[in-house]
Amino acid sequence: MSIFSIGLSGLNAAQNALNTTSNNISNVYTPGYNRELTLLGEGGGAGGVKVNDIQRQFNQYVADQLNASTSSSSALKAYQGQISQIDNLLADRDAGLAPLMQNFFSAMEDLAGSPSDPAARQGVLGAADTLSAQFRSFDRYLDDMQRGVNGQIRDEVTQINNLTDQIAGLNKEIALARARTGQAPNSLLNQRDEAIADLSKRMNVRVNIQDGKTYNISLPNGQPLVSGTNQFDLEAIESANDPQRMVLGYRDGNGSVSQLNEGAVTGGTLGGLMTFRAETLDKTQNQIGQLAVSLAAGFNEQHRLGQDLNGEQGEDLFSIGQPQAYRNERNNSAVEIAEARFGDLDDLRATDYTVRVTDGGAPAFEVVRKDNGRVVDHAFDPGTNELSFGGVVIGFDGAGFENGDRFEVQPVRRAGASMETQISDLDKIAAASFVETDGDMAIGRLSAAPGALQNIDGDGFELTLDENGVLSFNDGTGVEVLRNGEVMNDGDPIVAGDTLTVDGVSFTVSELPAAGQETSLTLSAAPPGTGNNRNALAMQGLQDVSLVGGTSSVSQAYGSMVSDVGNRTNIVQVNLDAQQGLTDQLRAVQQSESGVNLDEEAANLIRYQQYYQANARVIDIGSSLLDTILGLRA
Amino acid sequence: MRVSTVTMFEQSVSSMNRQQNDFMKVGQQIASGRRVVNPSDDPQAASRAVGVAQSKAVTQQHMDARVSARNSLSQEESILNSVSDAIASAKTLMIQASSDTLSDVDRQSIASELRGIYETVIGQANATDGNGRYLFGGYQDSSPPYVREADGSVSYVGDNNVREQRIDSSRLLPVTDNGNKIFASVPSGAKYITEMGDNQGSLIVTGPTVVDSSDPGYGQQYRIEFSGDGEDATYTVETFDTATQQWVALDPAEDYQDVDYVAGEQIRFGGLSLTLNGTAADGDGFTLGRATQMEPNLFRTFENALAVLEQPAETPQQKAALRNTLNTSMRELDNSLDNVLTVRASVGARLNEIDVVDSVGGNRMLNYEQTLSDLIDLDYAEAISEYSLRQVGLQAAQKAFVDIQGMSLFDRL
Repeated sequence: MSIFSIGLSGLNAAQNALNTTSNNISNVYTPGYNRELTLLGEGGGAGGVKVNDIQRQFNQYVADQLNASTSSSSALKAYQGQISQIDNLLADRDAGLAPLMQNFFSAMEDLAGSPSDPAARQGVLGAADTLSAQFRSFDRYLDDMQRGVNGQIRDEVTQINNLTDQIAGLNKEIALARARTGQAPNSLLNQRDEAIADLSKRMNVRVNIQDGKTYNISLPNGQPLVSGTNQFDLEAIESANDPQRMVLGYRDGNGSVSQLNEGAVTGGTLGGLMTFRAETLDKTQNQIGQLAVSLAAGFNEQHRLGQDLNGEQGEDLFSIGQPQAYRNERNNSAVEIAEARFGDLDDLRATDYTVRVTDGGAPAFEVVRKDNGRVVDHAFDPGTNELSFGGVVIGFDGAGFENGDRFEVQPVRRAGASMETQISDLDKIAAASFVETDGDMAIGRLSAAPGALQNIDGDGFELTLDENGVLSFNDGTGVEVLRNGEVMNDGDPIVAGDTLTVDGVSFTVSELPAAGQETSLTLSAAPPGTGNNRNALAMQGLQDVSLVGGTSSVSQAYGSMVSDVGNRTNIVQVNLDAQQGLTDQLRAVQQSESGVNLDEEAANLIRYQQYYQANARVIDIGSSLLDTILGLRA
Repeated sequence: MRVSTVTMFEQSVSSMNRQQNDFMKVGQQIASGRRVVNPSDDPQAASRAVGVAQSKAVTQQHMDARVSARNSLSQEESILNSVSDAIASAKTLMIQASSDTLSDVDRQSIASELRGIYETVIGQANATDGNGRYLFGGYQDSSPPYVREADGSVSYVGDNNVREQRIDSSRLLPVTDNGNKIFASVPSGAKYITEMGDNQGSLIVTGPTVVDSSDPGYGQQYRIEFSGDGEDATYTVETFDTATQQWVALDPAEDYQDVDYVAGEQIRFGGLSLTLNGTAADGDGFTLGRATQMEPNLFRTFENALAVLEQPAETPQQKAALRNTLNTSMRELDNSLDNVLTVRASVGARLNEIDVVDSVGGNRMLNYEQTLSDLIDLDYAEAISEYSLRQVGLQAAQKAFVDIQGMSLFDRL
């Protein structure tokens, strides 16, 4: 081996090293680039140097960790981006729901102060309009967010399909390149790892490296997205049990699409969006809806107990949306939902329900709350084909259920959307009392149906109750008394807790008289009176009544919603900060291994330049050596 | 550890971002004056603030209610004031009119003065509040509660309700009183009143005076009826049995049944004593009972007095009627005055109560405001020092960025 060839191998190696260095420098800011090192080795027996490898500085272990961490932080980032919108919505102290509810109640106070004053009545209508408009606007805002989430899911799915497609393509190219040269080009490997990193930002996936060469990618539940050079699409599809909801579908090798469980994907932007929707958005919508329904129903009930300026029974003050119920489109039977309406509002909760038919013949059902997965009590009336639970009544159009049929019930989700003030005529506000009860009978939950007390004359209708629960009411007017909906006779016994209905007025008897005593109750319609403010006072008093779910007042319910959203936002923010810290740290670790340091490269440049110059010098010396030898002859 | 150029860049940028974010946050807090801008800033405080704001709003509602309650009650108080003045002057006029020396013409002029007072009281009874609602009609506040009948008398068309307002969380305060309570009631301890029948004789009743309020018959309603004319007249005293709703004779029969009438003689029963003068005619009689049992009515009192004053008193029968009516009217006026003063006292008590509740409510309001402020408002001193701190932090991060980016080996090549 001559000094020339040694020098030449050195020059070659130096050139290679300079190439690598300049490649590193030029790619210093290229995303996904992994710095390269020129690995030199001694030449064979003849000496000299050879370039063993241009090695990509890539640590699979660190990259996996970083991807997992990125997946979590981008999920939290997506969650945080969404939830902070709700957080901002509730932050408005002047136009939020709480101040408007306060305005409404204070308008009621003005009405109680001057019950027939048109200005006070206008104030009530104005406050009611503003309040119901705000409920609608909250509902619209949240519904827009639902749509936004649907749209984002669709976009993410498109991006994910692009990426998995790219990865499958890269798998193929890398295999080909490997077959051609025995070695994969670093740039292709970088691209593939970068695509995985990108994919991790969008969703959490499992990466399986087959034979150290091919990347196989699967969903967390194991369904493959990329298998060698094959790729399987995700699809954004309408949920089978709720056509308003975009969920993930998986298209398998046969081209058939199956719906994925909403919890199947948890990481990445996609997972963050899905978690936000299931955990916060649905719940907030339901809470707002529950608040709207409770407030509207509470006021309607009280308003019907009152009397307007024309001396007529009060009408409903607010209209409100009805529950939504959907038949699962994969049901075997053709039973459809005929009607969904509200039942006993004290049982109404801010949650959705899944109704599952456990026995199609009987039929028997299982009703599960979707927020906590608990089975709730229900009652089915085969006569009317109606199923009641959790404050709603669902009517089916037939009874031919099949086992496993499912129905999705959203009692209050969109109830706020159609909340409106029903009354526009000032005279129609029922500030005066209408249903008068007089007597010592212990009663509760007084309510009046529209058209109540038409058959009772001015003296009223008297009921007496003795210690054994015997109810007497024979006053000769022929007015019927219903016990829990059934007509009863004079002298029939009742028990505490029964609901009695007399001429459209219903109430429950809370307890029977003590031994040896008798209690009585006289129901009558109050005479008209423009100065009567008793119903206005009662409506003002609703602000302290536990209207929502029978446990909290409207303001408390709103407060708990604020606390709920605030806490969740706060937790997400804290988790995001922590996760982001972890991700940053891992990124620094990954960069310390794979990232380019310009100072280092500058030093390398100098080093390899000197290396090159030295080798050139070797050739130069070699040539002068030869010259010396040749010069000897001269 | 190796540090890549990208890491240096990213770390500087992210630390600048963080500093900037914190800086903005403090800036936002200072600009809004609130520590809790979004619920997530302090969820507990934010939700408690909703509760406190609600309590504050309710307190405000009660304050507003007190304003209008005070308005109604003050108006009522001033009206009751002038009504009691009117009753006092009516009493004076009646005392004048009772004098035997007055001629019919004198009584006529007293009557016209009394009529003026009567009209004034009617006007006061039909007073309206600032909104044009009638104060004393109960719930019937859109039309005058006292209307004039065809015969010139007035009758009450309001009801017995009283409008109430919630002036505190657990207090419904009546903000007016209805006409019945003011003009057609007497205090429970009011005196006995005599009501003469349509007498043909010239019977004049003096009294009754209470001689023994511990008598078991004291407090009952009594009726005295005469039979036989002049010298032969006898009388029977009966009492009203509330259980059977019938008039029953008093025991023993010899003292109270068909007793010979002697003018100027004192009659005693049920702890009462009265003296009868003049002659009795067959069928004459009178009732006496506690004022509460005798359907008191201030307007009726006026009307009865006016009726006797406006007609000449010539016959003994007319003179007796004049004397008896004026006697009864004066007792009734006393009762009415007592009643009006009682109502006025209750109005005053209610106004006092409003004042007390007002000061309690004011304190409560202050408390709520303080709590609300503690919960969500900003401590400026703290915030401003935080602001400066963040400013320094941000500047430091920027400086670090510039310095690090400025150091490159390439500059030395």
